[in-house]
Amino acid sequence: MPASLLIVDPSAENREVLRTVLARRGWRIFEAEAAERGVELAREHHPDVIVLDLETDTTDAAAIRQQIDADSPDHPAELIMLGKLRRGPQFAGGHVISKPYHFAPLIHTIEQLAAKAA
Amino acid sequence: MATLFVMQGRDKGKRYDLRGPDLSLGRDGTNRIQVNDSEVSRRHADLRKDDEGYLLVDLGSSNGSYVNGEKIAEHRLKNGDRVQLGRTLLLFTDAGDPSSGNLHHDVNIVGQSDVEGSRILKSVSHDSGSQIFAREAFEPTAGGDSPWLARARSNLQIMYRTALAVSHTLDIDQLLARIMDLIFEWVEADRGCVMLVDHESGELTPAVSRNRKGVKPVERMAISRTILDYVLAHKEGVLTSDAKDDERWNSEGSIVSLGVREAICVPMQGRYGIVGVVYIDTYTAPGASLPPRSLGSGLSGNTVNKFSEEHLKLMVAIGHQAALAVEDTSYYSAMLQAERLAAIGQTIATLSHHIKNILQGIRGGSYLIEEGLKGDDNDVVRRGWRIVDKNQERIGNLVMDMLTFSKDREPELVPANLCETVSDVVELMKSRAAEAGVQLVWQPPADLPPFSFDADLLHRAILNVVTNAIDACEKREAAQVEVKVEWAAGERLVQIVVADNGEGIAPEDQKRIFSVFESKKGSRGTGLGLPVSQKIMREHGGDIRVESSLGAGSRFFLELPALTAESALRNETQSLP
Repeated sequence: MPASLLIVDPSAENREVLRTVLARRGWRIFEAEAAERGVELAREHHPDVIVLDLETDTTDAAAIRQQIDADSPDHPAELIMLGKLRRGPQFAGGHVISKPYHFAPLIHTIEQLAAKAA
Repeated sequence: MATLFVMQGRDKGKRYDLRGPDLSLGRDGTNRIQVNDSEVSRRHADLRKDDEGYLLVDLGSSNGSYVNGEKIAEHRLKNGDRVQLGRTLLLFTDAGDPSSGNLHHDVNIVGQSDVEGSRILKSVSHDSGSQIFAREAFEPTAGGDSPWLARARSNLQIMYRTALAVSHTLDIDQLLARIMDLIFEWVEADRGCVMLVDHESGELTPAVSRNRKGVKPVERMAISRTILDYVLAHKEGVLTSDAKDDERWNSEGSIVSLGVREAICVPMQGRYGIVGVVYIDTYTAPGASLPPRSLGSGLSGNTVNKFSEEHLKLMVAIGHQAALAVEDTSYYSAMLQAERLAAIGQTIATLSHHIKNILQGIRGGSYLIEEGLKGDDNDVVRRGWRIVDKNQERIGNLVMDMLTFSKDREPELVPANLCETVSDVVELMKSRAAEAGVQLVWQPPADLPPFSFDADLLHRAILNVVTNAIDACEKREAAQVEVKVEWAAGERLVQIVVADNGEGIAPEDQKRIFSVFESKKGSRGTGLGLPVSQKIMREHGGDIRVESSLGAGSRFFLELPALTAESALRNETQSLP
């Protein structure tokens, strides 16, 4: 079973870059513009890695983490968050990469996390 | 609470709150109210309180008691009565018991019909209020112009006008200059200046200076540091004279044999501290004969001085007024400064965010190109290139919007083909529209004459509106953006209409969309597009309007004054003399 990635990012360009590169490397890719659809896709496909953009007003990383974990108790996804976590209780449920980021290290991280999970 | 206020005499300015049933007035220290006046008897009069108020009873004093100019043995005091004992004049005020309890029950603001009998008898405008101090208003009472009354009038007038100036002016330099003018009208000063404490250095810096007309500014104004230091340290005004008490003028006091310089220097005492000083001085040259004067007499018995203690007291009050104004203005400008900084902060934050997104796009695009080149995959290179290309377009638009927004520039009105400008925009946006699944419709009108406008600016104004229209209906069913130019011969305005069938704009947002940084497009919007379009249209003498309903779409109207070559010519000939 090939590794799977869920991208939750409003930017079509960012999604296209990740999709183009990782699809060529044999990944299954799921895309969502917003968190709501992202949670649905996660429930349906149980992706290995989730890339979540934090810079949309409606994104609540902790709630999404909780939701995704509840939906896939046997298969916890690795979560990579892009941007800045809001202030508040420390949230240790994933990796945070601040913006603007370079794609090479991001893709490297995605592949490493998938290898660890496998 | 009833009070007695000393208006004239050695105790001038003192106020006695009247408490208790019986109060005695007299020169003696045993009196409840001691009057320092040699013409007042030891026990001069009694104030007796009963249910109706106070009764003034003369105790057989040698010089008598007077109320409102009439000698009395016994008198029931009314609010505003003037009581004269010896040389001391007191004002009796009795405001009555302040009504206690809930004022709401006592005061109603009612409509016209409820108080039919009441009407406005006279109204006084803000400015004409000072006329109450005008000479005529006082004339009939005294039958002559008593020096005291004249002085009081002049004093009241300058205070009133100072207060008026303070309430009218926000520009501090203008206000200080005005106050200086008022001081010069009121007292015979030769030179004057206002010095403000510099916020940073704490040093006094001259803000306004004046010379009396006809007085040559022979020297730079030298102001004694000792005086300034004294005023600042003691927070009180000073009246100085370099005249020796008896040597500089002869005994008649009419001819000055040596020059005398007198000065008044008062602190500008505000609510929070001293903001500066006001200084005036005057110089009486040797041998000058003194003009007959009404001012300055009667206080120290020294009729030579131009400045009196009364002047000093009033200057202190003026200094206070000026200080309040200075504090208000510096508070105001501090607020303005803070607002400006906040606006700059917001601008930088918004622009950085936008630029960051563009940078992210360029990084993604170039990463794809790199990957494609590595794997010799032209398709990946093409994808990457498209992203880079789009983002360099975005940064170009951002920079142009920023420039247009920040510059105040007169549009260069050159006769041009409006259809061509609109066509250029449509051509440019075609691929973007196709990508967004939006049909872009543009039907140029048949015979549009050339109008005068700035083609580059108008291009930008239309581009921003068309870009928004495409964004607004992206991914909607049968999405369509229609661009039209509407004009009928003879009409004053030519309209470029951009209509979309997108999501529409809520009524409460319709006002805000033209404000800078109010983008409703999330990360895609800079918040500059519509403000820039509006600015361009207004610089052309036109405007931009919107009609929109939620769910049905929006229509933007870019209105341009229809300056045909013909009408421009007509305007020119009209403006010829």
